[in-house]
Amino acid sequence: MTDTNTLSKIQEKARRLLEDGKVEVVIGFAAGTVPGKSTPSFISAKEDCESLVWDNGCSLNLAKYVLKEKRKAAIIVKGCDSRSLVNLITENQIKRENLYIIGAACPLSASCAGCQVKVPVIYDELIEDGSEIREVSTIAERRYDDVLEFEKLSAEERKAYVYGEVSKCIRCYACRNVCPACYCKECFAEKSLPQWIGKTTDIGDNLIFHLIRALHVAGRCVDCGSCQRACPMGVNLRLLNHKLLMEVGSLYQFEAGLKEDQILPLNTYQYDDPQPFLAKGGGHE
Amino acid sequence: MNAKDEMDAKDDRKIVAFLCNWCSYAGADLAGISRFQYPPNIRVVRVPCSGRVDPLFILIALKNADAVLTSGCHPGDCHYTSGNLVARRKFSLLKSLLDFVGVEPERVQFDWISAAEGNRFAARINTLTDQVSKLGVWDRWGSVVDD
Repeated sequence: MTDTNTLSKIQEKARRLLEDGKVEVVIGFAAGTVPGKSTPSFISAKEDCESLVWDNGCSLNLAKYVLKEKRKAAIIVKGCDSRSLVNLITENQIKRENLYIIGAACPLSASCAGCQVKVPVIYDELIEDGSEIREVSTIAERRYDDVLEFEKLSAEERKAYVYGEVSKCIRCYACRNVCPACYCKECFAEKSLPQWIGKTTDIGDNLIFHLIRALHVAGRCVDCGSCQRACPMGVNLRLLNHKLLMEVGSLYQFEAGLKEDQILPLNTYQYDDPQPFLAKGGGHE
Repeated sequence: MNAKDEMDAKDDRKIVAFLCNWCSYAGADLAGISRFQYPPNIRVVRVPCSGRVDPLFILIALKNADAVLTSGCHPGDCHYTSGNLVARRKFSLLKSLLDFVGVEPERVQFDWISAAEGNRFAARINTLTDQVSKLGVWDRWGSVVDD
């Protein structure tokens, strides 16, 4: 589903920004070499703006590319990209004033199940296409069907499924590299002093990698799904992410990337936080 | 496996305990001084605060141990004011994730034990060891295949 009207407005806006010298580079999508997949594109000459696309293949999260961009940049975002930008701003990874955000509604025809933020939450200019803009405060507590279905299985079945999934992993770290929340300069997976996990595809190492990856993005993940799309082996990575999104929602009433004044749930605490994890027996409860 | 070997295997189960220097570690010391009996299955790792315990430590410990206990100060009693309160949020998420992927809830446990609760420490280790001995063989993240 290519909306030519939205696309021409995006191209026009990008051209104007470069012409006026407001930005040095526009980060957007261009047609990829594989049909149906658009590729990130860095445009610094105004004549190249025609190559921008905004179609079903624009599924990657472009927020990742702002992190290393030293130039003054404009970025074309959909809903989840903008939420990742909110996260990066609150985590002091990027400066809002160095960035010009062109927002447009998500162009994907098959949207992610349960996605309620198709229109960006922050932008300098929003390309209107008639999509409903949802007030972020009205977003209901998330329920993910895949998690609810999975929880109906017995512990043994759940374990067998997760073991089966992570055993597919070849540890290419594509899921980490594509994730805008994974920006550590040195990842625990590659530390050598101490070496926490081995570099092989041993099932134990794979499991620990995937569990910790999910925990490291807990309360920060915006469920853009880039990790799963990037995975060459088709590991069901979003299942773990969805579980933690639900837990963070129900325990701390929080969803990442919606407000610029957010305090991330794992950076703070309440004295009366629920503690469902406490061990039973042996004490004086 | 005959009955005796099975008994030995159960007695041999290792439990790693991450204990906060300011409370649970002193609680363990008090249990010793007070001559409260508890099984010798635990291996204590002294940490400066329960907030120091990264979920990664717990998962890595499970590569070579059958269970992990993490214990810190009661909420409000942290030597560093809020270390255990921040840890509490991490542990909540870790615990629900481990339950989700089908790890038995008894295998990874958390507790608050103060320096004055020697009896409680001994009682906790007694129940913990008992619970762990009743569990099946832990596959150590898939590296041990149950035969």
